[in-house]
Amino acid sequence: MVTEKEIETVAKMMKIETDNHKEYVDKVHAMIDYFDILDSAGIESDELNMAEIPISSLREDKHVPFDGNLLKCVNHYRKHYIKAPKLS
Amino acid sequence: MNLNISAMEFVQEAQNGNISVEDYIASTMERISNVDEKLGAFLSVNNDAIDVARGIDKKIKSGQKTGACYGLPMSIKDNICIKGGKTTCASRMLEQFVAPYDATVISKLKAQDAIFVGKTNMDEFAMGLTTEFSAFGPSRNPWNTDYVPGGSSGGSAVSVSALECSASLGSDTGGSVRNPASFCSVVGLKPTYGLISRYGLISYANSIEQIGPITRTVKDAAFLLNIISGHDPNDNTTTNNHGTDYLENIDSGIEGKRIGIIKEMTADGVDDAVLSVVNDAISKLEDLGATCEEISLDMVKYSVAAYYVITATEAGSNLARYDNIRYGYDFPTEGFEFNSYIKKARMRFGPEVMRRIILGGFVPSAGHSGRYFLKALRVKNKLTEEINETFKTYDLLLAPTVPVLPFKIGEKIDDPVALFMIDINTTTANLTGKPAISVPFALSNGLPVGIQLFADSMNEPLLLQAACALEKTTRLPEIPL
Repeated sequence: MVTEKEIETVAKMMKIETDNHKEYVDKVHAMIDYFDILDSAGIESDELNMAEIPISSLREDKHVPFDGNLLKCVNHYRKHYIKAPKLS
Repeated sequence: MNLNISAMEFVQEAQNGNISVEDYIASTMERISNVDEKLGAFLSVNNDAIDVARGIDKKIKSGQKTGACYGLPMSIKDNICIKGGKTTCASRMLEQFVAPYDATVISKLKAQDAIFVGKTNMDEFAMGLTTEFSAFGPSRNPWNTDYVPGGSSGGSAVSVSALECSASLGSDTGGSVRNPASFCSVVGLKPTYGLISRYGLISYANSIEQIGPITRTVKDAAFLLNIISGHDPNDNTTTNNHGTDYLENIDSGIEGKRIGIIKEMTADGVDDAVLSVVNDAISKLEDLGATCEEISLDMVKYSVAAYYVITATEAGSNLARYDNIRYGYDFPTEGFEFNSYIKKARMRFGPEVMRRIILGGFVPSAGHSGRYFLKALRVKNKLTEEINETFKTYDLLLAPTVPVLPFKIGEKIDDPVALFMIDINTTTANLTGKPAISVPFALSNGLPVGIQLFADSMNEPLLLQAACALEKTTRLPEIPL
């Protein structure tokens, strides 16, 4: 059983404010409870096959110049810098 | 001006000079301004559309080479980037975001002279299946405006159904093209994973989502697929379809084809009214010479849980970038410590997005990943094996697109698990990467019911053939709007 405390801890890690939003916690709880159905799928011993893409199939990692000024699209762009809140 | 024509009919008429593109676009914009206040399909409209149409008319009249769309009026879901226009994902978080580039599908459509009349409403970041989770208010079903239009591409389906455009593009992560297509009585195609580039589609769950056309007819969907499909160097997951022409054999019919009726999608929880429509569709397909037999895909029972675990995990990662520093809305940074600023800024997400981000942190986390995420991946694998095995015997699979009729706005919004179950028939195509299409087939109590067909990977030609054959067996009334 997942506890409310666990959900609140994860929300904090994901930078989601839940202090005044108990209803989020209740609904997330209901969703996680539903996922318990996976326990009865009987697939624990199945191998996990992941599709692999060879490096040769990936696009070349090269700089493609952008035909505009992307930095000006940034929210807090000020005189060649991006303003961000200070780290404590 | 008669706006109730298919995209292909429009192209034919515009090409022959029988209709003026400018007049048609002007009528389309007028229609939007007349009905959209009631329907809420659009988040923004393109005020330059008539000027663009005038330019295309000039090209047609002067005999210059004109793109295959000949000024076709299209709407685009607001999570697909069009350069210089707002792309909000129906979120307050991206309320002021202007896309600096075109998505590949947009570049391809622009090259063929499509005209984008506006960006359409959706569930915030495509998380939902009713369009009620839009931060800008819900879209309404044009067949009965008290009812949901489905989602998350609800605005796109409404715009096509209500004659506010000729065709639209949506995105389908767990049924988000097919579900609203079914609820609004239009065609919705989720192509094979990799057939259409996702470059410029704002990511929700990259490993399973696809852009797909929403149209009035199956042939219109094939026409658009011809334009937007194929390999894109900007999206490594795309496949080369070698220029397949999806219209070429579309009228070939389905005589001799074997169709599996998916037991788990036509059993418990399916409305009697929907079941009756499915049985009617099966009879029609048999009349056309197909053989229909019940088949079982055991993992379908677990598909919704697997789908939500996988998509929440990917969403948790994809939405981490919305910290309001690189892009977002106007919220000054002064006076905040870094983490408290980001937490505060992220309160602009709506409740459903917040819930899924929390889930996305929880299910793959240390101590829980074995119980949820790894099991979900195993269900995905097993379901793919089951469906691949089935396609060794059957050409196509069939199920209702949605197990219930459209429901009233607000009816299920507070019950997340009840909403989960509405996805039961659509998530299989996403988890397995297979193509699937919803074909409008009947009305029940004045509300649309769509039939869903599945084909094996890259077998869109057969899927569209079968959908076209099924479409021809029914004639639906005009929209009562």
